[in-house]
Amino acid sequence: MDANSKTMLKGDHDMLLAKVYDDDDGEIELGLGLSIGGCGGLRKSEEDLMPCCSSSSSSDSVKIPKSKIVGTKRRVVESVSPPNATSVVGWPPIRRGHRMPILANQIKSEQEELSKINNRHLSVKVNMEGTPIGRKVDLYAHTSYEMLAQTLENMFYGTHNALGSSRLLNGTSDFVLTYEDKDGDCMLVGDVPWQMFLGSVKRLRILRNTNMQH
Amino acid sequence: MDPNKKRVDSLFPDEVLERVLSLITTHKDRSSISLVSKSWYNAERWSRRHVFIGNCYSVSPQIVAKRFPNIRSVTIKGKPRFSDFNLVPDDWGADVFPWLSVFATVYPFLEELRLKRMVVSDESLEFLATKFVGFRNLSLMSCDGFSTDGLKAVATHCKNLTELDIQENGIEDLGGHWLSCFPESLTSLEILNFASLNSEVSFDALEKLVSRCKSLRVLKVNRNISLDQLQKLLLHAPQLMELGTGTFMQELVSGPLTELKNAFSNCKNLLTLSGLWDATPLYLPVIYPACARLTFLNLSYATLRSVELANLLAHCKSLRRLWLLDTVGDKGLEAVGSCCPLLEELRVFPADPFDEEMNLGVTEVGFISVSRGCPKLHYTLYFCRQMTNSAVVAVAQNCPDFTHFRLCIMTPGQPDYITKEPMDEGFGAIVKTCTKIQRLAVSGLLTDRTFEYIGKYAKNLETLSVAFAGSSDLGMEYVLGCPKLRKLEIRDCPFGNAALLSGLMKYESMRSLWMSACNVTMNGCRVLAKQRPMLNVEVIKDEESDDSQAHKVYVYRTVAGPRRDAPPFVLTL
Repeated sequence: MDANSKTMLKGDHDMLLAKVYDDDDGEIELGLGLSIGGCGGLRKSEEDLMPCCSSSSSSDSVKIPKSKIVGTKRRVVESVSPPNATSVVGWPPIRRGHRMPILANQIKSEQEELSKINNRHLSVKVNMEGTPIGRKVDLYAHTSYEMLAQTLENMFYGTHNALGSSRLLNGTSDFVLTYEDKDGDCMLVGDVPWQMFLGSVKRLRILRNTNMQH
Repeated sequence: MDPNKKRVDSLFPDEVLERVLSLITTHKDRSSISLVSKSWYNAERWSRRHVFIGNCYSVSPQIVAKRFPNIRSVTIKGKPRFSDFNLVPDDWGADVFPWLSVFATVYPFLEELRLKRMVVSDESLEFLATKFVGFRNLSLMSCDGFSTDGLKAVATHCKNLTELDIQENGIEDLGGHWLSCFPESLTSLEILNFASLNSEVSFDALEKLVSRCKSLRVLKVNRNISLDQLQKLLLHAPQLMELGTGTFMQELVSGPLTELKNAFSNCKNLLTLSGLWDATPLYLPVIYPACARLTFLNLSYATLRSVELANLLAHCKSLRRLWLLDTVGDKGLEAVGSCCPLLEELRVFPADPFDEEMNLGVTEVGFISVSRGCPKLHYTLYFCRQMTNSAVVAVAQNCPDFTHFRLCIMTPGQPDYITKEPMDEGFGAIVKTCTKIQRLAVSGLLTDRTFEYIGKYAKNLETLSVAFAGSSDLGMEYVLGCPKLRKLEIRDCPFGNAALLSGLMKYESMRSLWMSACNVTMNGCRVLAKQRPMLNVEVIKDEESDDSQAHKVYVYRTVAGPRRDAPPFVLTL
């Protein structure tokens, strides 16, 4: 916690903040190590930001999975909370009739709305081994692994290597960047083409590089 | 058998009793009547015309049909209320068809059907329209599963239709042709509400329909109806009592605005006004002549600012109910307090619930202003981003007659923004001061203390909604002590098995309990189910959650036994 937190407090702090709040749902999430949850007792006063980790054992705090949206044929899908909202399903508790984008000039079809929302962001959680605070990163805001690695290095190290390739990717760092794919397997980031990666990544994990040869 | 008793019964023939009882209409009264004696039970069941089913799974259509042979009107509510907020998966149930198929045999003369949160297919609507010759009133609120094709069937086949009220449904809108299906011979319509449908209807068909239905008293059109068109409709139907306009903005109005204003002025019976989409200061004044008589004004689709609202409300002295968007701000609410002394109900909806940057909305300041000017206020639904205990305390003191207090501080777990304390004392003041409180929705940072207050003081509380609140099982235990509690819905609270099981003796006296994202386990639910066979204890499984946790629990009393139509993800324990 020591070295990392110090680097975070350096002059790069503003840039770090910018990176956090540039993501539409730049949320700081309390987590124990690698697991999502661990928020335990729901002492809301202790959490500055979004409460989505409160019901850590439930998926209510996660955005509605795409499958649920596709499955609703007859039913108008009411707002999937836009990503810059509290990512809590069904909150604030507003019924269909009052949830429409009132300030919009026209009523969009639910498909249009959804595709807009789904294409704009792909936010995944990122946890770094040894750091209790998890972050979120919007993968659609990046176009390559390098770019992603830069963002992550900024987030967790407070610095980034502007010249060479990211240390996270080339194996020279103490840490290695991995991701959990759709099947729940832990994969090394960088092996498959970027687009393919976007299609299968569920979350990111920065793990200690135990294989590093000194 | 006491001979005296027998004589009294024979002096009072069943027919007379039935005639007298037919004048009793509320279902609560009728329930009481049915408990007096066997003959009263029978007289009541034969004379009942309307049955209200608060939970479609608490009873079966067969049981209803057996007890009540002469029903003309049915109201059924289906899914748990949190389904309005996407917490209940699709295909959960509450299909109306099984009810309709029994009714077709037992109540062929059924006239009225009012459904809320039920699944209604097009087939069901067609069945309804064709099997019940005298069918007259259809009201669908928050239902889903049907499309405008179903409405076509209703419009085509219901020869004596007097009401078609379609509100906030998950409807597949395939076009507005359904309206053109009303035959020329249909003149009986009294209520037509299609405000929540998106597609354009044929104005020609609508105009003709409105002009030939002389008894039309409620007309709520959708946003596609222009001001010009509205004017024509008003000329045909000056007798309207409730009007929902279409869009209130138009590039060029064909006649002078005075004509539109006159049209409103001629509606001498107008009591309710809604719609008013896109209303701007340019066109809003046309409704001023009608404002003095209005008792209910629904501005929740009009993005008015404080000044526009103030100008409008200056004309609305008789208002009893007012629904607003929070774009009016605290200044707008100040105008409410000054202009509407008779106000009984205020609902303020957030224009941008998911985006704080756009609009601060209303705060504790506005809330206090309204309470000062409107001492008769007894119903509120208030969405805000900041609140203080002292404001809520003041509101309670200014308006001690609250029966429905629903305060939603939009960020979960947010404390009093000035003192940083939990909102316990505010809600405590509500239950202590407002002894008639019947429905309560709490929000913000709340400890068990809030629930302690509720349990101790809210003697008339029937419905309670809790989210992101409480510190321990005690919270839920406290509220289960409310003597008249009927509906309890809880989400994202730290209440576990001990809390759930503390209500063991209570749930049969309630309609239902909903708990989601709490700390209840499958084992806890199993214990409850085993101990109380008259309850259905249902767990909605979620693919992502852990098998031992009971992610969503729905408990309700029933005489119909476990559901036979439960989908695979609903486990009845």
